[in-house]
Amino acid sequence: MLSTYFPSVLHSSPPFTGKKISGKPSSPAPASVKFRSRPVVTAAYASAERTRSSYLGPNKMASCLSLYEILGISMGANNQEIKAAYRRLARTSHPDVAAIDRKDSSADAFMKIHAAYSTLSDPEKRADYDRKLFRRHRPFESFSGISSPVTAMSGFSGYTRRNWETDQCW
Amino acid sequence: MAEPAYTVTSDSETNGEEKSSSAFPETAIGIDIGTSQCSIAVWNGSQVELLKNTRNQKIMRSYVTFKDETPSGGVSNQLSHEHEIFSGAAIFNMKRLIGRVDTDPVVHASKSLPFLVQTLDIGVRPFIAALVNNVWRSTTPEEVLAIFLVELRAMAEVRLKRPIRNVVLTLPVSFSRFQLTRIERCCAMAGLHVLRLMPEPTAVALLYAQQQQQTVHENMGSGSEQIALIFNMGAGYCDVAVTATAGGVSQIKSLSGSAIGGEDILQNMMRHLLPNSESLFLKHGISEIKSMALLRVAAQDAIHKLSSQPSVQVDVDLGNGSKICKVVDREEFEEVNQKVFEKCESLIIQCMQDAKVEAEDLSDVILVGGCSYIPKIRNLVMGICKTQDISMGMNPLEAAVCGAALEGAVASGISDPFGNLDLLTIQATPMSIGIQADGKTFVPIIQRNTTIPARKELVFTTVHDNQTEALIVVYEGDEKKLEENNLLGYFKIGIPPAPKGIPEINVCMDIDASNVLRVLAGVIMPGTPHPVTPLMEVRMPTIDDGHGWCAEALHRAYGSTRDLVTVQKKI
Repeated sequence: MLSTYFPSVLHSSPPFTGKKISGKPSSPAPASVKFRSRPVVTAAYASAERTRSSYLGPNKMASCLSLYEILGISMGANNQEIKAAYRRLARTSHPDVAAIDRKDSSADAFMKIHAAYSTLSDPEKRADYDRKLFRRHRPFESFSGISSPVTAMSGFSGYTRRNWETDQCW
Repeated sequence: MAEPAYTVTSDSETNGEEKSSSAFPETAIGIDIGTSQCSIAVWNGSQVELLKNTRNQKIMRSYVTFKDETPSGGVSNQLSHEHEIFSGAAIFNMKRLIGRVDTDPVVHASKSLPFLVQTLDIGVRPFIAALVNNVWRSTTPEEVLAIFLVELRAMAEVRLKRPIRNVVLTLPVSFSRFQLTRIERCCAMAGLHVLRLMPEPTAVALLYAQQQQQTVHENMGSGSEQIALIFNMGAGYCDVAVTATAGGVSQIKSLSGSAIGGEDILQNMMRHLLPNSESLFLKHGISEIKSMALLRVAAQDAIHKLSSQPSVQVDVDLGNGSKICKVVDREEFEEVNQKVFEKCESLIIQCMQDAKVEAEDLSDVILVGGCSYIPKIRNLVMGICKTQDISMGMNPLEAAVCGAALEGAVASGISDPFGNLDLLTIQATPMSIGIQADGKTFVPIIQRNTTIPARKELVFTTVHDNQTEALIVVYEGDEKKLEENNLLGYFKIGIPPAPKGIPEINVCMDIDASNVLRVLAGVIMPGTPHPVTPLMEVRMPTIDDGHGWCAEALHRAYGSTRDLVTVQKKI
């Protein structure tokens, strides 16, 4: 549902790089009134997941790693390599196996890895992502509609007990 | 070493890594508290070992007998006869009663048990009591389970010659978060700290991952991914999981479960043998209890025999003038339990759909639990999964507890030089979690089968002009009707006056690796980048016993004045 949103964005919006993403017309500016001017349709609640966090500045994530970099694989990796990389990283970053003193940050790290994995292991989502990455060289946070766990994290995360100071940019 | 500081844990905090952090990692033991049977296992440094009680049993009956002053459970107790469990003095099937309110159909089905289960049907905790010297003495499912856990703990401490504190418990998939808190409460009463509560089939999945790892001697990650379906049906619950496993990592793709099990099959069989048995036994007089015990044992025996033979002769004198003399064949048995089997099928089908797998994708089908001996169950699983091979070399009664012991070792930070503990289960949420919004609608924020740890958020707005409060009512479940889902808790959040639809109420849900759920809510007004008031962070569930009527009471008190609607994403 959400993935169909991105290709059209690609074609319609002018190329921005890095820090300018916040200005792209397709991405609703944080807390913009326009964003909320909608008839309330109850059935459509599932699409309400925000594409962008209102709480963090729009530029904070600008220099982040690509999903491929998160998994430590090349852009040409096949599905099996993606799965293997995901498992390898899960084995070190999942809170169940991470050292006690990093339990909190490892949950966040694992969620990022899982989000990267769920986008890249789905051929359709990966194709969307690749297209966007290739054309724009843009950090993946603007894809957050696809990999919703990633978006969600940028929301309240600064306010949770987790240590985000050292972990904002992944 | 410095004196340890005294820490007060949060009232709602029943679980957490911090409390157990000591300098020496203690290997947590795995406990499978079944509805009818229980077992305990531990990683002994090189493999998983099931602990035996003084009577050399690895599998113990789950019950507690109340006699005179000291209750005794199935771990230490020496029964003079099977019927003793059904004399009214013993409480069993705790797992079907714990954390349920007296409007729950599962509680009502338990009213035909030989001990007293009294309901007022108003959404409070049922009253249960054991017959001691001709007096119904009250207890609670939590208390009974705690007594049982204390016995298990004592037994394990004797066997392992060390104090036991940390445990990993396996539980049904369909347990609500409120029920999980009750289990944690039982453990706390027994002096045990819960390191993990694992859905039963995910414990089996971990054992499967280990077996796979041992047979396929390949480098980590290079082994090909195996999709397995795990079907686990015991006396109280039926659970299904689909897992993708490679390199010792088991990713749970989907879970489904329901409170149906051998107990339902047994009750159907009793009804079949003696059609009006339920009403007959509701009186709970001494002679009725005795008859009921006789019938129960006869029905149980017949079911066991029907697993290996096509028909069975039931001959039992109930002692109250009625005698049962009946031949029951397998077809009749399957007929009277048709609904149970249909439910099993639907759970498997749903689980496969959720995981987006077809029968052809399954590398292995694993069948465990006491009910796996029933031919009909085996056939239906084999039929749906299109396979003939469901043995897998796992002991159906020990698989879950072995998996729990493995998880106990892994979560305690134990490592094995031979790589036998290079294992990980990546869990998923068995139920969606969301809030009430858009009228009386359940709006999920975290969908079921989401990988945990997880964090998701959704934006809502007000429905009235100058609405200065919103009521955030949190539910879990996947039922269409709001009230059929499990209420987890509720809180209010203040909102600055504004026209309706303007304030943004952001609700975020966070589940950490220990499955602790936190709900965060904040209000954003247009033009301000930050929340206007401090965020609310609420650990769920917050509800307590008697929560069955809370949702209704909230609705009566507030109507729709504090409602929310979802904000649609504009494309």
